[in-house]
Parts: sequence; C-alpha cells; structure tokens
Amino acid sequence: MIHIENLSFRYKNGRKPALDNISLTIHEGEFLGIIGGSGAGKTTLSYAINGVIPHHFPGDFYGSVKVANTDTFDTTPGRLSLKIGSVLQDIDSQMVSSVVEDEILYGLENFSVPGDEIEERLLSALEAVGILPLRYRAIDSLSGGQKQKVAIAAIIALRPKVLILDEPTSELDPKSSEQIFDLLKELNEKYGITIVVIEQKIMLLSEYVKKLAVMDKGRIILSGNVRDVLGHSSELEEIGIHCPRVVSLSNSLRDRGADVGGVWINLDEAEAGIRRLIYD
Amino acid sequence: MKGFFDYVPGSSYLHRLNPLTKLLLALMICIAAFISANHLFLVMLIVLNLGIGAQAGIFTRSVMLLKGLLKLCIIIFLLQVLFIRDGNVLVKLPLNIFITDGGISSAFMVVFRLVTATMPLALMLSITQINDLSNVLVTKLRIPYPYAFALTTAIRFIPVFANEMTGIIEAQTSRGVQLDTRNIFKKIKLVLPLCVPLLITSVRKIEGSAISAELRGFHLRTKNSCYKKYAVNINDICVIMISVVIVGSAILVNSIF
Ligand SMILES: Nc1ncnc2c1ncn2[C@@H]1O[C@H](COP(=O)(O)OP(=O)(O)O)[C@@H](O)[C@H]1O
Ligand SMILES: [Mg+2]
Repeated sequence: MIHIENLSFRYKNGRKPALDNISLTIHEGEFLGIIGGSGAGKTTLSYAINGVIPHHFPGDFYGSVKVANTDTFDTTPGRLSLKIGSVLQDIDSQMVSSVVEDEILYGLENFSVPGDEIEERLLSALEAVGILPLRYRAIDSLSGGQKQKVAIAAIIALRPKVLILDEPTSELDPKSSEQIFDLLKELNEKYGITIVVIEQKIMLLSEYVKKLAVMDKGRIILSGNVRDVLGHSSELEEIGIHCPRVVSLSNSLRDRGADVGGVWINLDEAEAGIRRLIYD
Repeated sequence: MKGFFDYVPGSSYLHRLNPLTKLLLALMICIAAFISANHLFLVMLIVLNLGIGAQAGIFTRSVMLLKGLLKLCIIIFLLQVLFIRDGNVLVKLPLNIFITDGGISSAFMVVFRLVTATMPLALMLSITQINDLSNVLVTKLRIPYPYAFALTTAIRFIPVFANEMTGIIEAQTSRGVQLDTRNIFKKIKLVLPLCVPLLITSVRKIEGSAISAELRGFHLRTKNSCYKKYAVNINDICVIMISVVIVGSAILVNSIF
C-alpha cells in the first residue's frame, strides 16, 4: 500500500536531513505504530507519506514514496487525500472552521459526497469518537482533547483507505486515548483500513498495533512485530523511550540466560512467565 | 483583543439571518458612519450597535468592545484637539498650541466615527459562523474560494494570536520583565521583540492550516460543494431595507443640518 524506498529529506532551511535513508513498506490492512523522541523525524515522515513533502515544504528530496502504486512526487497532496486521511499534530492549525459541525462538513463537501449521505456520515463520525453532543459547539470553546476528537472525526468521516495520525492522543486522558485506539482497531479490523499512528505512549501502542517502527535522528532504527521491537528495550532506553517495566524485566532476565519465552508486554504475561521460571 | 471576533453560538433573530444580510447591515452602518457629519446621528448609530449586541445576546461583549476602543479614542481625541485649529480659540497653551471649538467638535466626530465603524464588523463576526461567511462569499458573491479561505482564515486566527500574545506576555512577566510600564515608548520597546516569536508561530499556524485544508480537498472544492443552503427570507429583506434606510438617513440628516 505504502512503499518508501531510500527516502532522504532535508528541509530547505534545515542543517541536518530530517529523514535519512528511510525504507519502509506498509501493507494493506496493516496497523503500524511509529515511535521516537521529539525531533526524530516522525512528523516529517508522515508528511512524506501524505505528499505534503515535497509539494508543500521545499527541500532536498531523494528516494521515492509510492502510495497505492502512485508516486507521491507525480501527484498532489489534494489528490492523495482521497486515499489517505491525515490527522495532523498541531490541532489548532488543523481546524478550518469555527464550529464543530462545519469542521466535519468541510472535507465531505470538498470530496463532493452526495447531500443525502452527508448527514449520516457526519453523525456516525461524531458518534464514533463520542462527541455527538458537541455538534453545534464553537471550536474555540473546546478543550485540547475535545479538539483532537473533532480532528479525528473530521478525517474518519471521509472514509479514507489509509489513515495516518500524528500523535492523536497527546492531549487526551488515558481513558479517551484508549477509546481512540479502540476505534482505530475497529476501523482496522472491521473495514480493513490501513492505519499508521505516531504515538509517544509506548504502552498504549504496543497493546494495539501489530507492527512498530522506531525512529531516531531521521532514521528507522528498529522495525518489525511489536514483540521483536520491544525485545530491544535497552536500545529504546538509549534514545529516551521508556519501555514498561515488565518489558525491561523480561529482557534483562533473557540477557542473563533465563528462558522467558518471548517478551512480556503486560502484567498477566509477566506473572505467567515468572511462574513458569520458578516452577519449571 | 481576545474574545471580540470569535463566534458566539445562538439562535437570535440576528443569528438566523443570511450571512450576507449581516455583512450588508454591518457595511451599511460603517458607510453611514463615514458619510454622516452629525454628532447626534453618530451617537444614535452607536446606540444602534449596542442594540444589535443586546438583540444577539452579546451585549456585554459590545460594552467590552467599547471599553477596548476607549484608549485608542482618547489618544485620537487628544491629537485632534491639540492639532486642529479651526474655529474660535478657547484656550491658548504654550508651544503655540491652541484648543479651538472646531478642534473639539471634529475630535468628537472622529472618535464617534471610529467607534461606529468598528463595532458592526466585530459584532457581525461574533454572530456569524466563519464557514457560512466563506460559503456565501463564494456561492452568492462569486468570490474565488482561495480568497474567501484566506480572508476567513485570517479572521479565525485573530483570537488564536491574541491568546498566543497573552501567553508570551505572561511568560515574560513571570520571568520578571516589567511590561506594565506606563511609558508608552518603553512599552513598545519591550513588547516589540516579543512580536518575533509571535510572528514565527503565526506563520507556522497559518501554514499548518493551509496544509490541513489541502489534505481535506481544498483544491477539489467547487462553487457547488457547499452542503448548507443559505436562503434569503422575509427577515433578510426587512433587514436589508433597514440598512438602506440607515444610509439614507445619514445622507438626509447631512443635508438638513
Ligand atoms: N518546517 C521545517 N523547517 C526546517 N526544519 C524543520 C521543519 N520542520 C521540522 N524540522 C526539523 O526536522 C527535524 C524533524 O522534525 P519532526 O519531523 O517534526 O520530528 P518529530 O515529529 O519526530 O518530533 C527536526 O530537527 C526539526 O527541527
Ligand atoms: Mg512531530
């Protein structure tokens, strides 16, 4: 679905490349998490996928990005947006309206969704993120978390084949964050939507996504199945990503020669693993 | 600045008008203010503005707006009084400055005009959803969508920037920078450097907004994309007629007095 090959990008006024020789393939129906410290290049990578780079930000662009067999270089972000829905990191600048309802309508109108379908899509998008009561509220009057939900609803309403979200839960409380991830999971499993989510909360990510890519200084330093990536907790620690304690515990037991039988990613697994180590 | 332009939801008579009607009413009041050369008529227009605020349920905001304009008004008033020399001299000040009755009269006129012409636009924006405004500009007035988008984005960002500025000032104050000095030149000197970070974040935000619009089909939008319909009904016709009457009265009053 998304095929990135030897991609490097340096912003016109940037000193170092923001992306450094990235190769990544995201298959249709995949649910990928991207994690990394701030300044690692996550947002830039998302821009490379939705075409904002190189079409909006000038700079040195090497390599290729293909989305559904279309080279992003040969099309526009506008046309790509028919396939890829993007939730941006900066929520305030994501908004183009002053009222929630209008914000959701905006994309639907632009995409020429038929009038009799619009109302239904509007309602189901609001419902899906749990903000139906906010329909007529002024966006200025919403909290950061509520705005984030509006931004997500506005993109979900467009029903894209690929969804890319840049830190969509940064302003949400744990419960709402889970709610959003539950929704993403449902979209992924029920409708086969390919999802790429950039997220700082590794715990949350590892519970939901199937694959993880770890970024640092413009490179992807680790990628693969969640458990394989979490097996490198000391490398993750080095770039400032703190794994859950049980993950670090199972890794250090493994490093000392214990047969932990794969990384433990939650307390239940840890408990079962420890029992096994003690009684076997 | 914060809170003068952002939309206040409501369902008052004025809220429900066609956005174009509201725009027309606001423009006509502005035009009347510029045409009129009659103090009493201008005061009546200010009262009308307050009445509009009251009807739309934003009376406190209208009063705040008046208060906000007060400082600017005082400065302009003083400049006018000190530098206009028409009419009879009332007071002779050192440095060859005269205060004349013509100066005072014209100072009042300018200040009243300023207030009358500023209020309607702010009030109109308070009770009109920005997208509705953009939609009618495109569908009814045939303004190309990119221009309408630029205009409405600029308006939408005023409160955002005001917020940002407040944040920056608070941050500086908490670091011990004395911004509340009475000396206006000193204040400008202190505040000006703060405008640089504001400018940077502003550019970032506007850029972000452009990207966001682009990623939701900005370029695919056509004149017919708009889902909501903006009908013109009897209420609109009444208000349009009233707007015309306001400008007509301004001309009439001028010719009589
Ligand atoms: N518009 C820009 N112009 C120049 N440099 C930029 C721009 N945006 C980001 N950068 C730089 O690119 C690098 C990666 O940034 P970004 O992709 O935003 O990282 P992340 O999203 O992981 O925090 C950073 O060093 C940042 O300073
Ligand atoms: Mg980022």
